[in-house]
Amino acid sequence: MTEVLGLGVLTGWGAGIAALPADARAAAGGRRVVEVARPALDGQRFRRATRECLLGVAAVDAMLSDAGLGREVLRGDRTALVYVTAAAYGASNRVFIDADPARRGGPAAAEASSGAPGALHFPYTAPSAVPAEVAIEYSLKGGYVILVGGAAAAVDALWQASVLLAAGRCERALVVAVETFAECETLWARGRWVARGPLVEAATCALLAGGGGDVRYAAASAPSPLEALTARRAGETLACGPLIGLALAREAGERHARLSGQWRGRRMTVTLGLSPAREPAHI
Amino acid sequence: MTPPPIAVLAAGVATPIGLDLDSYWTALVTGVDGISGIERFPVADLRVGRGGEIKKLARLGQGGKPRCRASALLLAAADDLLSRAALGAPPARIAVVVGTALGGVDELERALGEAAGPRAAAAGLYDSPAHALAHRVGAHGPVLTVSTACASGATALGVGADLLHADAADLVVAGGYDVLCRFVLRGFDVLRSLTRERVRPFDRRRTGLLLGEGAGLLLLARERDARGGLGRLLGHGSSSDGSHIAAPDPDGRGLEHALRSAMAAAGVGPADVDFVSAHGTGTPLNDQIETAVLKRVLGARAYAIPVNSIKAALGHTMGAAATLEAIMCLLAARDGVVPCTLGYEEPDPACDLDYVPRAARHARSRVSVSTSLGFGGCNAALVLEGAS
Repeated sequence: MTEVLGLGVLTGWGAGIAALPADARAAAGGRRVVEVARPALDGQRFRRATRECLLGVAAVDAMLSDAGLGREVLRGDRTALVYVTAAAYGASNRVFIDADPARRGGPAAAEASSGAPGALHFPYTAPSAVPAEVAIEYSLKGGYVILVGGAAAAVDALWQASVLLAAGRCERALVVAVETFAECETLWARGRWVARGPLVEAATCALLAGGGGDVRYAAASAPSPLEALTARRAGETLACGPLIGLALAREAGERHARLSGQWRGRRMTVTLGLSPAREPAHI
Repeated sequence: MTPPPIAVLAAGVATPIGLDLDSYWTALVTGVDGISGIERFPVADLRVGRGGEIKKLARLGQGGKPRCRASALLLAAADDLLSRAALGAPPARIAVVVGTALGGVDELERALGEAAGPRAAAAGLYDSPAHALAHRVGAHGPVLTVSTACASGATALGVGADLLHADAADLVVAGGYDVLCRFVLRGFDVLRSLTRERVRPFDRRRTGLLLGEGAGLLLLARERDARGGLGRLLGHGSSSDGSHIAAPDPDGRGLEHALRSAMAAAGVGPADVDFVSAHGTGTPLNDQIETAVLKRVLGARAYAIPVNSIKAALGHTMGAAATLEAIMCLLAARDGVVPCTLGYEEPDPACDLDYVPRAARHARSRVSVSTSLGFGGCNAALVLEGAS
């Protein structure tokens, strides 16, 4: 059975699920986006990293703290990384697009704005930038999958991690999800049928281990109770939702979590085992 | 544990050198150069304004064609695939897995314009083209978008195989796509990765890459459920470098891990490999790293088999590249012909393998390996077997 050994949850409401309100919609108070602060991570290496990259690293830190593990357990080619997001490339893409001289009045305008994002920013426009920073920070060298989509893709990511474990392609699998909205709030408002508010920024991480068997992954026609609870407590967190659901299930003392997630008309479900909170991780 | 092979039933493409499988293959074998001056968007202010641009894609937004070029490319490849194979499974058992480095970023650029409507905002999401593809092929099963940068097309085929192994689908339409747009051309331009000369993979004079656009799709099924087709996907592997946000690990350890993983999953050793389709971008670092990795993994066998790169013909098609290269491997096995590495003329002491210079070559290439690398330290490898 695939088991979840540790969970990290950061949201616009604060750190951990204890920070989640009882009713996210009421707590948002009409805000369309509930922003999460840029993590203050030490190190010269992070000087160019985007907010979403720092959130990814901070989520793994939170998971390690939750599991009572040191970062050395993640190092090397036996830890796989599965990353998922629907939106956490939008901010960096927008910065790069807005800096295009062709949109800003031609080359003269570009010249006038020295310091505009260029060579050093472009690699951060890729969705792979967040997991890259995570992989660099924790020296991850194992299997690597990056999925783009909302909550359904996060369910896909949890399934993918269990596949890697079951096939013996890794001993541990990190599933990381990050969602940011603030920089593209107007776009989300225009495309609001894709994701209803309040949009709550989040970064989440789960560490999975075990044989990977007995993971039930399928399409679903209706939301699981956990999906509904997550939406009520956290708001719309897109790909982070199922991982927040895992944390809520663990808090409730469940040993198994049936997660579901919906995105653009498709709902997937997966069932995973849970280790009790803060039990010493056996990996 | 070696998982059972996955059958490749059919393929479809849209590329700068051919808008269907037959013309793509003929162009590869005859050495057609698909690089041209870019006409679709302004390039006058960029250092390099050439690439593998598709000139004759059906007009967007008319006659049922999507307005989004990325979706249009993907659907063109899907139409080619559907003309060669029927999807004989219930819609709920058909999955779609596509890889992309850029998704709908072309639409995001449009969406950020003041006049753009709400549809452009949704189309700017990187997974929008995958949903358009699922709609076109009638897939109601899992719809996944993979974005391991320029390794996406290989990762997507691996995830597609995983879906079949897990019995999450009976048929998977899997592959990759990406469009040439100002966003990406400007990005590579400022990185100084683009060459002002000819693309020359593995050549002593290589100075960089040129970008291209395209889409490639494979129809995958469990072998026990399938008959005929182009061949088999024997194994796949992936890894992260964990070393740099943009540059590959100079020692190629991540690529080596991905390649060894793929070969182990396929149950093949160096002696079984007949042909290598390299990532072969034509940048000084990439080609040297790949050569060193191939020698470490394949040993003496690396010197005895052909290694090619088709990126000088197409440009680097990013998310499509690995799928188009996998298709090339299967067609090479079918016809016993390995396309040449266009632009390769002068050997580099650091790249001392057989890179198939000058012209396509008759060669037995039943089992091939294909390697891919991408931004963010993404590595992926495939092991394929042709139906010959």
